[in-house]
Amino acid sequence: MAEHAWMLAAVPAFAFVALTATGRHLPRQGDFVAVLTAAAVFALFFAVLASFLGLGDAAWPVLNSIEWTAIGSFELRMGIAVDQITIVMLAVITTVAFMVNVFSVGYMKGEPRYWWYFAVLQLFVASMLMLVLADNLLLLYIAWEVVGLSSFLLIGHYWERRSAVEAAKKAFVTTRVGDVGLLIGIILLWDATGTFNILDIFHAVEAGAVGETRLFVTMMFILLGAMGKSAQVPFHVWLPDAMEGPTPVSALIHAATMVVAGVYLVARLLPLFESAGGALMVITIVGLVTALFSGAVAFAQTDIKKVLAYSTVSQLGFMFVALGAGLVSAGMFHLFTHAFFKALLFLGAGSVIIGTHHHQEMGQLGGLWRKMPVTAATFLIGSLALAGLFPLAGFWSKDEILHAVDAHRGALVFLLISVASIMTAFYTMRLFVRTFLGKPQDEAIASHTRETGAIMTLPLVFLAILSVIAGLAVFHEVGDALGFPGGFGEFVYLHHPEVFHVDWGLAGFSTALFVLGAFAAGWLYRGGRLDRATALAEWQPRLYELLRRKFYFDELYQALIDRVVLGFSYVVSWFDRFAVNDTGVDGSAAMTGYAGFLLKHLQTGRVPNYALAIAAGVVALTLITLAVGG
Amino acid sequence: MVPLENYLVLSGILFSLGVYGVLARRNAVLVLMSVELMLNAVSLNFVAFAVYLDPGRATGIVFAVFVIAVAAAEVGLALAIVIRLFRNRSTANVDEAATMRW
Amino acid sequence: MTTEVLWWIFAVGVVGTAAGVVLSRTVVHSAIFLILSLAGVGAMYLFLTVEFIALVQFLIYGGAVTVLILLALMLTRMGVAGRPEPVTGAQAPFGALVALALMATLVAVAVATAWPGDLGGSPEAVSIEQIGEALFEHYGAPFIIMAVLLLVAFIGAIAIARQEDGD
Repeated sequence: MAEHAWMLAAVPAFAFVALTATGRHLPRQGDFVAVLTAAAVFALFFAVLASFLGLGDAAWPVLNSIEWTAIGSFELRMGIAVDQITIVMLAVITTVAFMVNVFSVGYMKGEPRYWWYFAVLQLFVASMLMLVLADNLLLLYIAWEVVGLSSFLLIGHYWERRSAVEAAKKAFVTTRVGDVGLLIGIILLWDATGTFNILDIFHAVEAGAVGETRLFVTMMFILLGAMGKSAQVPFHVWLPDAMEGPTPVSALIHAATMVVAGVYLVARLLPLFESAGGALMVITIVGLVTALFSGAVAFAQTDIKKVLAYSTVSQLGFMFVALGAGLVSAGMFHLFTHAFFKALLFLGAGSVIIGTHHHQEMGQLGGLWRKMPVTAATFLIGSLALAGLFPLAGFWSKDEILHAVDAHRGALVFLLISVASIMTAFYTMRLFVRTFLGKPQDEAIASHTRETGAIMTLPLVFLAILSVIAGLAVFHEVGDALGFPGGFGEFVYLHHPEVFHVDWGLAGFSTALFVLGAFAAGWLYRGGRLDRATALAEWQPRLYELLRRKFYFDELYQALIDRVVLGFSYVVSWFDRFAVNDTGVDGSAAMTGYAGFLLKHLQTGRVPNYALAIAAGVVALTLITLAVGG
Repeated sequence: MVPLENYLVLSGILFSLGVYGVLARRNAVLVLMSVELMLNAVSLNFVAFAVYLDPGRATGIVFAVFVIAVAAAEVGLALAIVIRLFRNRSTANVDEAATMRW
Repeated sequence: MTTEVLWWIFAVGVVGTAAGVVLSRTVVHSAIFLILSLAGVGAMYLFLTVEFIALVQFLIYGGAVTVLILLALMLTRMGVAGRPEPVTGAQAPFGALVALALMATLVAVAVATAWPGDLGGSPEAVSIEQIGEALFEHYGAPFIIMAVLLLVAFIGAIAIARQEDGD
């Protein structure tokens, strides 16, 4: 079964086609097709997993490919490769996709283009699965772009709203800047090694086919692609705006799966990054800057989804830091746990939005736990998991990252990532306190607030359970019992499997970080009141404004676009208008017309004249041929 | 024996006469007759080549057969058109059928 | 020797009658010259030892085509028979010029070229069996298409020349 894992992608792809063609006319606009597809993929994943584990680690990675085309000596094979990293990604994608599809039935009820929403969701799942299954960079790139396309379509789902259109465009263009880098990187790799196949590239690089400087440059291009997709500074600007899309989409695409594609790419190609001189250090720095920057920005955001968006950017930074330390295990583990609790938080936010009839400003909410107990409880679990409370999922993965940084990156990076951890705890608890605790800020909204139905709360509960237990996968005993070769570190690794041992000192330190952040938030926003926070903001108005405006990144980019891009556009437009259009296009058209006006007098309408011209032409051509050709 | 060149020259003269007829004659039926002369010149050329240059195989001769067959079809159609023209315009003069112009 | 003398006689006859076709002042004379010219070409086929083509030439051109042309002449009769009318158009001098140039070119090429595989004027007889074999074995499909073409031309000719209501 593992070698037929392509079926995972084929099923939703087929569902996409079916829903696009018929969804509008099906009963309930075909939402049951989407849910059944997601359930089937979820079930299929376990078949793949069982088969994969049954084959044993000698057979990993499981390969299956077909010849796509052969041009001369160049042969292009397309296929799938299933290894441990792929399995982790598959677990995340299939689980979250299933939950989100179910949740969407409740969330999207009565929304415009209901069927189209589900169709694109299937397209996304298919391409995302293809992305992680691809055994060569070309197929990966194709899937990468289709994923971007579905993200674009879903962000812009409410295209009647101008802001949604702008956000979709922004996401598409920003990630495209990175994607061009990725494409250049892939071409450079192909140029140096003659293959797109990832394993073959590894072997070629190991054999020294690529010089170190060249490899470094190549990997920097590929890193650009990863940074664009994973919203690392300075490409992060699209992700918070992407919250214009329906909230379940934010949970699936902009928290759990698509945005970690960059992390996945780096993890997948980590051997190349290792060989490429200081590339790992670059990854660490990018991740660290992102984690600190967006953690700080999250302090001052008032929209629930924006806070979660910046939190996601920050956590992606954590993953980059872990990968930059050279540890696939820690990075992928955080990706794994983060997917569950961040999807939970987003779906919780979605539940709040539906329960309060489309309100997502913290300033208008508050005290929701009385009205929405299930949502509040699951949201609390998600928040604590994100903040890193022992023994929830986030605690173990963050611990792994701290451990990895401590061992491989030295004190400064460790200190900074600790600060980022405190920030995480702070903004997470701030979000929870202001939304669910204290008194309602707006009685009119509060009086209409209702808990959402089971179709929405059941996915929340399921994800909450996962958020509690997913972290336990790190233990050797747990993995063993489930049929894995030990814990997470013994399953996913680059060079050597690592057995996990609890480091109580580090665990204590990590808990202290959590307590520090959480209590700061609790003190500042005690009982949901804002007086202390307001005082703090007034004490340092400039700093507050800097955070609220997200370090002026959008303004900076806008200015750049206005000055540089538009200025260049004027020149191009002038050239197009006068040189290309007036002289080239219109000029040649006018010339043709004028020539026709003159030459039409040759047309006598008398057939013998034409025959004479033909005969004379034949003679002339014959003589020319004789004279020239001999 | 008669050398190949003799046939080719004869064919060339015949063809050129046909061309002159097509260009100079006004009556459509006469134009058609000139076309027949040209076609005959071509057939003769084919057969001469087939016999002198490619003995044992009959490819050129088969071509001549096809040329004759097409000529027969063409004559039938062209004369029908001439009759039609004559009936509609009371003339078989190609100079007067001058509507193909701007 | 006898053959060559005979050939020259026929060659001059063919050219002369062909010239008559394009130069004669009356249409009917042209038609009669055409018959003679086509018959002369048929004789040329006999010199080339392809009796089959000669036979076809006599049958189709000498018979069918000429009869058709004479019939068309009667149907599109111009003026009263015997009255000379201008049968040559205004561009005749230019046509003559082009035709002469063409003739010069063709004759020059025919004489100057060393034809590959030329047997030097001793043609082998091509038997009718060979022609039949070539026609039905190698050129079967074109032969059938030719038959269809003839049928289509036949129907087309009827459709065009038919006397319609209101004509």
